[in-house]
Amino acid sequence: MNPVAVLGVLAGLVAVATALGFLWRSQQGRVHHARGTTVIKASDIPGIRRFALGATFVQFSTEVCHPCKVTHAVLGEVAGEHPNVAHVDVDLTHRPDLASQFRIMQTPTTLILDGKGVVRARIGGAPRRDAVRAELERILVPA
Amino acid sequence: MTTTRPTLVAKPGQKGIDPRSPRFGAGITAALLLVVVGLGLVTPLGVTLAARATEPGFLLFVIISALFAWGAFAGVRRHPYGAIYRALIRPRLAAPTELEDPVPPTFAQGVGFVITLAGIVLHLAGVPYALVIAAAAAFIAAFLNSVFAYCLGCQIYLLLVRAGILGRKGAATA
Repeated sequence: MNPVAVLGVLAGLVAVATALGFLWRSQQGRVHHARGTTVIKASDIPGIRRFALGATFVQFSTEVCHPCKVTHAVLGEVAGEHPNVAHVDVDLTHRPDLASQFRIMQTPTTLILDGKGVVRARIGGAPRRDAVRAELERILVPA
Repeated sequence: MTTTRPTLVAKPGQKGIDPRSPRFGAGITAALLLVVVGLGLVTPLGVTLAARATEPGFLLFVIISALFAWGAFAGVRRHPYGAIYRALIRPRLAAPTELEDPVPPTFAQGVGFVITLAGIVLHLAGVPYALVIAAAAAFIAAFLNSVFAYCLGCQIYLLLVRAGILGRKGAATA
């Protein structure tokens, strides 16, 4: 291969990697509203007996995931602002069955459930604090 | 209601690392992998095993793979790029706003080692473009890690857990 073509391939590789990076970044923390048809039983989620009256953040993590720790801090903080909001962090390392059940493709993934256990939103990647607060407003004060 | 205290630092008994250190190391690795891709494209595949084993791009690739193994098995805190970072870069920067658990970047080093090892074996076996493709794949991962703080462990680890390769089924939950 001639040197000009090689340089072209290398530049293309950098361009592809950059495009993938921006694509990945744009998907991180995006809130997907659920249609409200999926209901989760509290007994399916390890670590809790019943859902909080207002809302519950169900966070799925693994131990090799740094953004999960950041997310844990953000969700814990927002949950702490409301008396009826709980946060549970599930380590999928020990529970691959839950990863399959909830079709988790990346960690952290957060489900926001209302007081009845209905999935109202799903967030892949580390969520932004204000986006979580806005979502909570929507659930706690029904229009 | 609230949860337990956020754990931004490493587990007890383990010191957290400056999260910029692995990203700095990934930047060096990405640049070197790009050189391997370039050398792999200009050098025709050797006819004999000895010829393939002594191509300059291949030799550089073996060094990169050995450094991945170093990070994966000795831990990222003992990695030579970490030492370069602490000696040359860290003194010029502000203190890190948070520390990172060394487990996620150590896992990423292991993924890098597996990808490069596959490239080494296939190249020595005489598979055309094995070196270029493995180096390009490792480049994309290292580049995303360095520039975008992409977390390899967040997706690959989960896939391995789901496939039953990693993880401890039925153990105590978080």
